[in-house]
Amino acid sequence: MILLQSQSRFLLQTLLNRVQNLEKAVELDYHWVEFNDVRYHILVSTKNPNVLLLSVSLPTPPPEAVFMGGLPGGAIEAIKAAYGVVVHILDPPRDGFNLTLKLNLAKLPPDEVSSMLRRIHFPTLLIHVWIRYALLVKIASVREVVLGAPLRVVLKHLASRTVVPDVDRVLALVHRPKESFFLVSQPDKVTVVFPMRFKDSIDTAFATSFLQEFVEARRAAGLNNAPPCLWSPTPPLELNEAPAEALSANAGFVSFVIFPRHVEGKKLDRTVWNLSTFHAYVSYHVKCSEGFMHTRMRRRVESLIQALDRAKPGGEDKKKSPNSRSFKRLSLSDARANSIS
Amino acid sequence: MDPTSRPAVVIDYGTGYTKMGFAGNVEPCFILPTAVAVNESFLNQSRTSSSKANWQAQHSAGVMADLDFFIGEEALAKSRSSNTYSLSYPIKHGQVDNWDAMERYWQQCIFNYLRCDPEDHYFLLTESPLTAPESREYTGEIMFETFNVPGLYIAVNSVLALAAGYTTSKCEMTGVVVDVGDGAAHVVPVADGYVIGSSIKSIPIAGKDVTLFIQQLMRERGENVPPEDSFEVARKVKETHCYTCSDIVKEFNKHDKEPARYIKHWRGIKPKTGAPYSCDIGYERFLGPEVFFNPEIYSSDFTTPLPAVIDKCIQSAPIDTRRALYKNIVLSGGSTMFKDFGRRLQRDLKKIVDTRVLTSEARLGGKIKSQPVEVNVVSHPIQRFAVWFGGSVLASTPEFFAACHTKAEYEEYGASICRTNPVFKGMY
Repeated sequence: MILLQSQSRFLLQTLLNRVQNLEKAVELDYHWVEFNDVRYHILVSTKNPNVLLLSVSLPTPPPEAVFMGGLPGGAIEAIKAAYGVVVHILDPPRDGFNLTLKLNLAKLPPDEVSSMLRRIHFPTLLIHVWIRYALLVKIASVREVVLGAPLRVVLKHLASRTVVPDVDRVLALVHRPKESFFLVSQPDKVTVVFPMRFKDSIDTAFATSFLQEFVEARRAAGLNNAPPCLWSPTPPLELNEAPAEALSANAGFVSFVIFPRHVEGKKLDRTVWNLSTFHAYVSYHVKCSEGFMHTRMRRRVESLIQALDRAKPGGEDKKKSPNSRSFKRLSLSDARANSIS
Repeated sequence: MDPTSRPAVVIDYGTGYTKMGFAGNVEPCFILPTAVAVNESFLNQSRTSSSKANWQAQHSAGVMADLDFFIGEEALAKSRSSNTYSLSYPIKHGQVDNWDAMERYWQQCIFNYLRCDPEDHYFLLTESPLTAPESREYTGEIMFETFNVPGLYIAVNSVLALAAGYTTSKCEMTGVVVDVGDGAAHVVPVADGYVIGSSIKSIPIAGKDVTLFIQQLMRERGENVPPEDSFEVARKVKETHCYTCSDIVKEFNKHDKEPARYIKHWRGIKPKTGAPYSCDIGYERFLGPEVFFNPEIYSSDFTTPLPAVIDKCIQSAPIDTRRALYKNIVLSGGSTMFKDFGRRLQRDLKKIVDTRVLTSEARLGGKIKSQPVEVNVVSHPIQRFAVWFGGSVLASTPEFFAACHTKAEYEEYGASICRTNPVFKGMY
């Protein structure tokens, strides 16, 4: 897995499960948390098995990013546009959540296809199943729809080469608890700036070099059409107006310049998702590289141990029967003990 | 935001399946086969030419392949459909065998399945009671170094299985846990939440052996199953059709009299040619689970039936705990899911205990009448993930966060903090 998927795997699994066994009434009450502190809650009661209540809580916004009525700007419209009649927004949301959606699974796209199966040839059925599946995937990516809503509005305007009316030149959008990234929009391009922060000092070091490599990789010949990307240890000039506390970052600043060609048609969704989870993407890869380094360190240590063992004088160890092994002789712990001393 | 305000992540990794989810829920989010399929094709590329370009190509191929792997069902599917992925099972007989694969497995569990940020959650992992302290240390090292978790608790799975029954009215933390998983089977006595380490008994027969036995039976009868698929078919047969009988001879008669009712059919598609096939499932339906009660039908090395092992285990525990232990025998693990497994176990065990009571009374000449011993085998509907559920219950209590090893402690003292487990006080 290189990129993070936009749909929540567990939510999609639950929805598919529900849809397939709609006649079976079950009780479901599930809480879970995803990266960047997005919390979900699913509730299904036996009384009304067609209805599924999905509540989402979003990361707490920092002072510079604005939420309207507990949601990012344009989220309500985005939900209505994406889901249509299947979803109904409950107001007020459940306690402790920013948004509660009431899903009516009976209203999902046509189910009578199965009876039409005899008359119509097979591919039509496939298309219907596919539409239904696509809608469920869309519901499972609710965080993209809600959190990405303001970004989507800006990028949509970019596609038509206009600027969103009555919005500041620099727009702050929340992507992590109490952290935001910034959009600077012009008619022909949008600059997206991410202040990168990491808690751990090792992570910070990894991330800094990862991002420098990332910028370097962008220059490769095959990526001419990708958005230009820059990394700098200090805030870029576009952010002069932003509040100072929002600009403290220990792993520098990454900026992308998005042109209209990056948001045409179907590319829009992907661009919105990739930009709004850029920090999660970097931190995932930082963790993966750490894991990769550890694997290599383990292999290296093991090969060094082997070399040491070969160099040991005398063969008295060999006389030991295999039964006399104790836990202490576990090769890995051995490895560690030797590398320390 | 404090990580203690978020639910802890509970991962119970077994030899066969891994159960993972968030604390406070009643079911795990995902139950996945513990398997990793890694793309190792780049390893086989020729290394003869030493030009720099080639080295770089190899290096970047290696780096790319570092993320090119799958876990769970996807891993099984990938390894079946293409030759570039090689399948490995990181856990063998309840112990972590391949740490590289295990680290990758955790990485995918956390980022691809649960999709959580490991820095935001406390983690509760499980281990078998016989795990070496070194391996616990190693787990801690990976969790704290690679994933930067804020806190970690490594629990003993049998204690968690006991804790799963904790919520139902009685707060009993004394009992024998009969944990029969896919790769390991243990009988673990627990008194007041502490494992009696010296009395742990383990059995070399587990779920995988049942599968192997079924596979062998089907092969010997000459069922039409493609050899490359036969293990998987046997596993599916075990999971869907097997049950425990009360008496083998009677059961054979029943099958012979009414084959239409008892013999099931299996339909599948040959993986290589795509041709459909079908086969019958007969005696193996009850002979599979019978392996635990009459192990001599499967192996000649180990012939002690499970009820006798449990009895021996309880008899070796301190005398004042024995009655309480007989009263609360808890089943856990996927291989105790066979229908009527608990009832059969209780009947056989009761028989052993009653015989002993009778002989001792006869020896004493009937002068002293002993109180009857209550034998009770508890099975609950969530047996398959009882350990996970127990973990979920434990991790949702406020005391849990205080019992965890924290990142700060790890940085202060090193991985040795994971070495001791409080439930073994004094054992190591």
